[in-house]
Amino acid sequence: MRSIRYRPFLATVMIIALISGCSLGGERIYTDSRIAMDTIVTISVVSDSSKEASVSINKVFGEITKLSELANFYSEKSELTAVNLSAGKKPVKVSPELFEIIRLSLDIAGRTGGAFDPTMGAVTALWDFHDEVLPDDTKLNEKAKLVSYKSVVLNDKKGTVFLKKEGMKIDLGGIAKGYAADIAIDLLKGDGIESALVSVAGDIRAYGSKPDGSPWMIGIRDPRPASPTENILAALPLQEMAISTSGDYQRFFIREGTRYHHLLSPKNGRPVKGTQSVSIISDKAVITDSMATAVFIMGPEKGLKFADKMGYLAVIVDDNGRIYISEGLRDVIEIKRPE
Amino acid sequence: MLSRSKGLNKRFRPADIFLLVFLLSMSVSGIFFIKEVMPKSTNVIIEVDGKQRYSLPLGTDSVTEVKGPEGPTIVEVKNGKVRVTESECPGKICVKQGWVDRGAIICIPNRIIVRLDAEYSDKELDAVTE
Repeated sequence: MRSIRYRPFLATVMIIALISGCSLGGERIYTDSRIAMDTIVTISVVSDSSKEASVSINKVFGEITKLSELANFYSEKSELTAVNLSAGKKPVKVSPELFEIIRLSLDIAGRTGGAFDPTMGAVTALWDFHDEVLPDDTKLNEKAKLVSYKSVVLNDKKGTVFLKKEGMKIDLGGIAKGYAADIAIDLLKGDGIESALVSVAGDIRAYGSKPDGSPWMIGIRDPRPASPTENILAALPLQEMAISTSGDYQRFFIREGTRYHHLLSPKNGRPVKGTQSVSIISDKAVITDSMATAVFIMGPEKGLKFADKMGYLAVIVDDNGRIYISEGLRDVIEIKRPE
Repeated sequence: MLSRSKGLNKRFRPADIFLLVFLLSMSVSGIFFIKEVMPKSTNVIIEVDGKQRYSLPLGTDSVTEVKGPEGPTIVEVKNGKVRVTESECPGKICVKQGWVDRGAIICIPNRIIVRLDAEYSDKELDAVTE
């Protein structure tokens, strides 16, 4: 009799424990957004100590800033600029971090048959999407000849980088942010953080889950949103994975009805047609960042086949707005685009 | 009287406790429920060097002077949009960006971010790849 009378009470206590366990318990999400790598970097960590979270987050921002100073294409003081200014002249000794990013970028260039090429710098420098500058055709053709990842010489023993052709330039804009997200995750794991979400612009990597046990939920931006308030194409849970997107809406201008965007062909230095956006999911952000660009350059059908072959998951929107989704994603992805 | 009171105590004590605890749980969880589930109002958040300095309602027209390391940056909110009208930075990229009703205006030299807090249509998301 007694146990029956107290059941409602015990049930209530359990409900409260559940509710407060979600919201009042020790663990919570600490988020910090700052400017780094010329963009917004957001780090969210799950921790039961604000001090611990703050120390780890500060450490990560310190490393990302250091990386940004080494690999900044536009800074006169960066190590990368020193490499570019010595093109055709002499090898330049660089720090191990920059050497590693360049090594990875060349490896990915090889794997994509040059669809991703880190030596696009001479061409990208001609385009100005902010001031809507359309480069001169002759100049563009001339600079496109300098795009050649096979003309980069790395010396492992000396830690040097040499660009064989004068005027050649490495631009790590298509890989450095992903690399930074990976570095951030490594540092947070090293600090004993059990769950985190790092977003360097659109390059995102997640591990662990939120305090309530649910996975981190990631949206993919709709390249042609129906309205400013309906701008998500799809949503998916992300655990122990990374995701990046390359789209023709990120940096672009429209001249006489033609869209000129920043995803340029390594062959001719001009914007690639046929695709609106590519999102790639894999275990490392350095892969997803660079492969999203490569698959965009390849085009929807060839790109999806390539992603399948390499074991990456992809969401591709072609220039007719048709959505291609890797088979492995179809059960978990939720399309949010209004009908 | 005493015995009646005792009788009442005996009869209603578990229900009283149940009601009290239930009401308490509703009020406590309500705070968090509202915080988590209700959509946020759309505000303009202004950060300087990673620290939030202002939160302005997007629905109210305003002009705000924000001090950054390079000098003042003027942020104007009008008709549900926001722009930077003046800034003590070399390239003035933030000024050239003009009016925005989503996303953010970033002034790298002056370490200022002007962003809209209701950036995405789906509030359940933790991040958006774009």
